[in-house]
Amino acid sequence: MKRWLKMAAGAAAITLATAGCAGSGSGDSTNSSAAASNGSLTVWLMTGTAPEALTNSLHKEFEDAHPGVKVKYEIQQWNGIQQKLTTALASDNPPDVIELGNTQTPAFANQGVLADLTSSVNDFNGAQWLQGLKASGEFDGKTYGVPFYAANREVIYRKDMFEQAGITATPKTRAEWLDAITKLKAKFGSDPEFQALYHPGQNWYELLSYIWDEGGDIAQANGKSFKSSLDTPQAKAGLEFYKQLTEASGTKAPKDADEATPQQAGIYGAGKVAMMIGVPGEVDTAAKTDPKIKEKSGAFAIPGKAADKSAPVFLGGSNLVIPANSKNAAAAKDYVKLFSTPKYQTELAKAGYVPGTSTDVSALDANPLTKVMAEASKNGRAVPTSPKWGDVESGQNPIKDMLTAYLTGTKTLDQATADANAALDKLIGG
Amino acid sequence: MTTTKDVTMPAGATPPASPRIKPPKSNRRLRLGERTAPYLLILPALVAILVLLGWPTLQLIGISLRKLDLRELVSGEMVWVGFENFSEILADSEFWEITVRTLVFTASVVLLTLLLALLMAVLMRHLNPVVRVIVQVALILAWATPVVATTTVFQWIFDQQYGILNKTLAKLGFESFIGHSWFSTGPSTLTVIGILVIWQAVPFVAFTLYAGLLGVPKEQYEAAGIDGANAWQAFWAVSWPAIRPILTMVTFLSVLWDFKLFAQVWAIRQGGPDGASTTLPVYMYLKGLAGNHFGLAATAALLMMLVLILLTARYVQLLVRTKEADLS
Repeated sequence: MKRWLKMAAGAAAITLATAGCAGSGSGDSTNSSAAASNGSLTVWLMTGTAPEALTNSLHKEFEDAHPGVKVKYEIQQWNGIQQKLTTALASDNPPDVIELGNTQTPAFANQGVLADLTSSVNDFNGAQWLQGLKASGEFDGKTYGVPFYAANREVIYRKDMFEQAGITATPKTRAEWLDAITKLKAKFGSDPEFQALYHPGQNWYELLSYIWDEGGDIAQANGKSFKSSLDTPQAKAGLEFYKQLTEASGTKAPKDADEATPQQAGIYGAGKVAMMIGVPGEVDTAAKTDPKIKEKSGAFAIPGKAADKSAPVFLGGSNLVIPANSKNAAAAKDYVKLFSTPKYQTELAKAGYVPGTSTDVSALDANPLTKVMAEASKNGRAVPTSPKWGDVESGQNPIKDMLTAYLTGTKTLDQATADANAALDKLIGG
Repeated sequence: MTTTKDVTMPAGATPPASPRIKPPKSNRRLRLGERTAPYLLILPALVAILVLLGWPTLQLIGISLRKLDLRELVSGEMVWVGFENFSEILADSEFWEITVRTLVFTASVVLLTLLLALLMAVLMRHLNPVVRVIVQVALILAWATPVVATTTVFQWIFDQQYGILNKTLAKLGFESFIGHSWFSTGPSTLTVIGILVIWQAVPFVAFTLYAGLLGVPKEQYEAAGIDGANAWQAFWAVSWPAIRPILTMVTFLSVLWDFKLFAQVWAIRQGGPDGASTTLPVYMYLKGLAGNHFGLAATAALLMMLVLILLTARYVQLLVRTKEADLS
């Protein structure tokens, strides 16, 4: 009787969860892998991460080594992924290997739904793990996530436009950067469509760079609790520079949206934008609009206050995790082990990502765009590893509200930072 | 159309008494099959209602008394916390602020919807057939467009840089609207959402009221005219009694629909900026699903249900009491 009740309760909660998904416009949350049978390993990777050639050969090698086991590879979309993962993890047959965003990992680890991989770290090439990601996969002294890949933002620029505007060296400091914008505007400003830097109002990962560069942070960790620090002088200075950049850049980007609405790569690809702040992969997206833009594009690290050091960057990326109730945990571990071998890590690097379990990034040096990124990733930082951080990103992000309010002049600097600080404390504080 | 009948019928007309009141003496002698037949006939409907409505509601109440985060959901553990979820939500000042906001928003949207729809219905009655068909087709198109598509269109209309509204206003001489952000404050954002919702809701209500108006025989207007009534008086004396029951019905339907509105509010600004356009359904989504606290979400849902029951109590009372559909 009790077990029956439990099942029904779970089903109702899942209905609740999926109903919510449908409401948010991502109605495709039905769990297609629920019927995983014996002899198959379900793998969920996110869209656009592992290149098809890599997964094809990886899965072939895995299936050859594990006769009778078939890899069920399913590519997931970012939109609504949090709810979809919740539903999948609560089902009887969850996927066996999941790619989990590094900012999401602590929330899932805290809930005890991920398998403890501490004893297998060495099998997964643990000595070479990328430090910035390693921290996001650890919780309470145990390891739950294996670094998969990382990417970070850089300034992507049009080499031809810089040349025409007479800019000989890429900017190393904020002052040089603003100077380059002035020169670009002087050269191309007569075109009303021209934007020296495409700079949407809510690119908050970029804001983090400036706050960190000023010596500030979003929140201070104190043992297991967090206290947000968006109202510190350092954070305010970072926000001020963001506004200065927005005003200097002559951008037409919306002040109340991030770089994904509209997709900035598409706007960069249209050819009237001299710079954007993004990941190297976005140049490939831009090339869909204009194939020639790839060879015209270069990159430099987000300039810092001083010339000798570029600004710290937010290390975005993913971990590979195994759900605690996976039916094929042993095979899943073998899969992750195979993925963390240098062979496939190099493939990842070739695809333009900083690999998670290999320090060999020579493959990234071949491409000037990814070379700059790999260099900057050494100064990579992460968001607070609070298990409640997921609430910030999947709900209403106070940092985005702060940016819009300050940039549009709805609030003063002090007001905007104080409000955001209080809102963030409510989400992750305590 | 039974509307006319309802109006002319004496208010105190009693319906034929139900058979249960005076059971025929032969009842006891009926065979078992005959006695149970009515209940057997009603059974499928009853089972459907219980399974589809009763059981989820019971579940909801059960979940609202539990701590149900991702951990409990996956492990299947039952953690009863009594009324902790309730005290947490009721102690949240944000909840009360949002409840008041939702009520004000619902009231304004429903009122404006009804007013506009009533005007449209009266207008349709007086238009010549060709223009009327054009108006009706336009209404149906507005009604038939999927919510997400409409929402996207509205987002672009009100876009800060590329929106046609700001450009048009600027062309008309209101230069200050260049680059005006319609989504920078909560009330402004809710106004845009309200316009969107009203735009989608008016057609249904307008057609329903129009159907009611069609039920009024022309002779009654002629009679009113002979008695010397002007258009306004004729409306109050003839049209109004005919559509009043229908109006009551659509009012309560609109209250139900607009109160639990989620898609439009979430799609426009996720309840922002600073949570200032967050309504109760969005609050529930944030508490429960974005944060994986399903117990809290169930509690919020239950509280929403209570508010709705309070709001619609009068209508339900009328429904239960009156045997005829005279809901005036």
